[in-house]
Amino acid sequence: MKIKRRDFLKLSVATGAAATVLGKPTLNAFAAAKSGAVAGEAAGQWKPSTCQGCTTWCPVEVFVQDGRAVKVRGNQHSKQNDGFVCPRGHLSLQQIYDPDRIKRPMKRTNPKKGRGVDPHFVPISWDEALNTIADKMMDLRNAGEPEKYCLMRGRYTYLRDVIYDAMPKIFGSPNNISHSSMCAESEKFGAYYTEGKWAYRDYDLDKTKYLLVWGCDPVSSNRLVPSAIKRLGNVIDQATVAVVDPKLNNTAAKGHEWLPIKPGTDAAAALAIAHVLLSEGLWFKGFVGDFTDGKNRFKAGQKVDESTFAEKETNGVIKWWNLAVKDMTPAKAEALCDVPADQLIRVARGMGKAAPAVCVMMGPGAAMHVRGGYNAMSVHALAGLVGGCDNEGGSLQTAKIPVNKMPKDILEKYQDDLAKKHSKMPKIDQRGTLAIPALAKGKSGGGVCANNVANGILNKDPYELKMVVGYMNNFVFSNNGTERWEKALEQIDFLVHITTNAAEFTMFADIVLPGAISKYEKYGFIKTKANRYATCSLLQPVVEPMWESINDETEFPFRIAEKLKERGFANLYDGLRAMYPDPETGKKANTAKEFTEYTLKYYTAPLWDGKKDVGGDKISGWQEMLERGMWNSKPYKYRSQWGGKFKTVSKKFEFYSETLKKALKGHAKKHNVSVDTVMAKSNYTARGELAFVPHYEEPFRNGDMKKYPFTFVDYKSRLNREGRSQNAPWYYEFKHVDPGDVGNQDSLKINPVDAKKLGIRDGDQVRITSMGGSGVCTARLWEGIKPGTVAKSFGQGHWATGDTAAADFKNGVERGFNNNTIIPWDIDRLSGSNARNGGQAVVNIKKV
Amino acid sequence: MTQYAMIIDLRKCVGCGACALACKTENNTALRSNGQTHNWADFIHETTGKFPKTGYKTTPVLCNHCSNAPCVDACPVEPKAMFKTKDGITMHNDERCIGCRACQEACPYSMDEVKRDGAYGEYSVISYNEEGEPYQALFSDSKELIPGCTTSGTHIARAAGATPPHLTRYGHPEYDDTRRSGIVEKCYFCDHRVKKGDQPYCVESCPAGARIFGNIRDSGSTVAKLLKKHKPSVLKPEAGTQPNVLYIGEYGT
Repeated sequence: MKIKRRDFLKLSVATGAAATVLGKPTLNAFAAAKSGAVAGEAAGQWKPSTCQGCTTWCPVEVFVQDGRAVKVRGNQHSKQNDGFVCPRGHLSLQQIYDPDRIKRPMKRTNPKKGRGVDPHFVPISWDEALNTIADKMMDLRNAGEPEKYCLMRGRYTYLRDVIYDAMPKIFGSPNNISHSSMCAESEKFGAYYTEGKWAYRDYDLDKTKYLLVWGCDPVSSNRLVPSAIKRLGNVIDQATVAVVDPKLNNTAAKGHEWLPIKPGTDAAAALAIAHVLLSEGLWFKGFVGDFTDGKNRFKAGQKVDESTFAEKETNGVIKWWNLAVKDMTPAKAEALCDVPADQLIRVARGMGKAAPAVCVMMGPGAAMHVRGGYNAMSVHALAGLVGGCDNEGGSLQTAKIPVNKMPKDILEKYQDDLAKKHSKMPKIDQRGTLAIPALAKGKSGGGVCANNVANGILNKDPYELKMVVGYMNNFVFSNNGTERWEKALEQIDFLVHITTNAAEFTMFADIVLPGAISKYEKYGFIKTKANRYATCSLLQPVVEPMWESINDETEFPFRIAEKLKERGFANLYDGLRAMYPDPETGKKANTAKEFTEYTLKYYTAPLWDGKKDVGGDKISGWQEMLERGMWNSKPYKYRSQWGGKFKTVSKKFEFYSETLKKALKGHAKKHNVSVDTVMAKSNYTARGELAFVPHYEEPFRNGDMKKYPFTFVDYKSRLNREGRSQNAPWYYEFKHVDPGDVGNQDSLKINPVDAKKLGIRDGDQVRITSMGGSGVCTARLWEGIKPGTVAKSFGQGHWATGDTAAADFKNGVERGFNNNTIIPWDIDRLSGSNARNGGQAVVNIKKV
Repeated sequence: MTQYAMIIDLRKCVGCGACALACKTENNTALRSNGQTHNWADFIHETTGKFPKTGYKTTPVLCNHCSNAPCVDACPVEPKAMFKTKDGITMHNDERCIGCRACQEACPYSMDEVKRDGAYGEYSVISYNEEGEPYQALFSDSKELIPGCTTSGTHIARAAGATPPHLTRYGHPEYDDTRRSGIVEKCYFCDHRVKKGDQPYCVESCPAGARIFGNIRDSGSTVAKLLKKHKPSVLKPEAGTQPNVLYIGEYGT
């Protein structure tokens, strides 16, 4: 019909009858207004805020016309993104203007909870919503069980202290559960138990001569996106770029070496590289030191006498060699990890030649495995061997951001006896119990184990949770093992969700409050780093919040505090007001809006109040801080940790981790068991001294590979604003910017060799099944995926969230499938991290 | 004499997608419908070789602003709706367009209907706005996902005061900031910006600095200097269109 019409049109033109025949506006109306000069862009203003689409946390500016957000760019003051954003920045406009946003509070009217059960939400007033929540909280306190309240935090700003720390502690609950371990705690484990820093690293891409990227794609995700995008073109000219990843990612596509590793075997490859570096004498002697007589004794399979080597900035290189490296020849590693020995040798030699300007960029793919802690250590140990740790052209720690800390002393004054006692009770994630060491920062139970919360809830261990408040989170979608989470959330008597959309988590909620869209509608601040600069960036409402959205981190606690005060419990109200007076006037907040402003001023004051020279950007006063929206530090000073300043037990970079030894022994002692028992309970295989060095562990697979012959590779799309951009139509339109993917479909990448064996053709619908669950998506035959593995990006598979995200919102039908359903529930117990990489998920695939 | 041109440095490009999304926010283009992508900027992707010697390349695409433009030749309207400006932009006048789609048919870089996308090498620089259909379908739907609780497309557009709500308002004598139904549309090198001394928005938004825009007839311009230094390539040279979007550098190593 279209064609016919076109022919008709052509004919019409020929006969000169077009305008009248078609009855279009005769265009004269437009013509008058449009003739003449180019008017150009209508007036507007660039206003600063922060993008939280990924963990780069870019300082940005939003162009505002007539009170509407219309465009996004990087903050022009940023030394981290140089004024540019990645695709996520633009994509976020479809979040603030998402037609499916929740506009007012609502409550559940169907008491039955479960996936696919319609909650029958109805709108309610703010008063009804807050009164209901406050009543439930008072019930808990009156029953003497405030610990049964739990806060679940997803993405956050640093104003989180109010909702995450102050509120539960003054109320009397230990249960503030962050999402941190879902992101990459095992990655931090690798850095902490070698160089003593429980954090992500920065990278000096401008100066690097060898970039080894391991288990991530820096131009797509992983914390320095625009900065890496800007630099990669230069890096491939000035340096060698090698990428370890079972699938060809963007960096690998542009780089020199692609090492398509068998998932989970990363330590084998890393140790083989170490083997070559040591046996060929290529390690960086300025960092590691040398044999006292200069004679290299590292020979395959042979132990070395410790007394023959004098280390400089490191600890235990000989012990490490003797325990874990000497036998891991490239040939042996090839058999384990399936990367050709000659390629491992070539990479090692290239790194050795470029040392110390070597950037070892370790990402979650290398680490977030059931036994991933030692993979992370093994990869990061390479940064030590080549002297690229904390050095020019290598990986870096970061400059300090001198913001204020939470006034803990004031908080404690407002804790009554019940709160003091109950906020110290064990947490619902069971951190620090024998089988959940969660050894963040060297402490037993030092960090969160978010995925274990599902078990805590289901087993009522250490006790029952009766009330959960979640904000900017979607734990039932974003944790692997979604089925377990669905069952756990069904158990919660009273669940509150502060959210922009009716997400999967929301579908289990009793009360839902409309949350502000981060970046466009709320105040907050973040700390971030890239390109040697540490940055503090503000989030600001660049436009008036659409709908009745509130700031989850500050307005919610304040308004609940008001309600609790009405009910005779004034400590939260009094405490919050006392903790955060206006730093300029000393005035206490009387409204939730004032409170938000004062907290933000309190935390950031050292950057703008002029009381102390904090280095970096000079900002004179609060108004200028709001207008600039951000502060840059001075560039990080290379080798700040060298010279015995690493925060490890030995004060050195540890190949033999005294720090981990102390942590493991501490945990073992707490439970009166041996370290070997701790290792066994944590599903690790190492016994004895091996537990204290980076070593190879056979990867754990959840399932029999005879039945499930493929390992499943999960990764992050460059269009993922974590789990929050999948109701944006642009996400689907441009999904093909992920290598191998096709727009508007959930693409499971499978090598053509494997597909042929299974009789699967490109574009076929396939069912993928694991021990965790099953789902249907579209097969994409692609040469960029290692045979024996299949890959799909996280993101799709929503069964709620919105009309675009779900195939059928009303009936809870998913669009594509959620990787976290296929990836069975599991964790890396030593770090507390979710285990979603490393091929713990094994699957079979059948044509539908 | 001016001939505007864009150079895309594939060495710097990482295929991230920012340019195409930035374009959608600048030019308020619609979502895909009826096989029309409305993507004035887009990408094609090529995978070559066999595992593990796999090659992969992304090529950003947009209107080539050809010196020998078949779309202009094909335009049946007098004076032409699709025409060349004196500074070499392939321009389109929204008012004169009758929606016959002869330009789309003639353009070697356009398709009548894009069924797939750049993953299969498919894209179209010219899109057609179906007669009588709302341009912004997402914001023309009044359905509330949860009645009384969630908003709707029309509600959000009304509350924001524009369709789409993120509409970037601009004015240009030849084309509107959103286009009416029944006509074609494409990239105009952001002439509404260029005339004000700014860069096209995809150039300004590229985080890799991979897009360079300027007058190739001016020997002092960056584009002219780059063309001296590099041997550029164009898409479908065999079509003889003399594109003014030129590619330099190798995407991979």
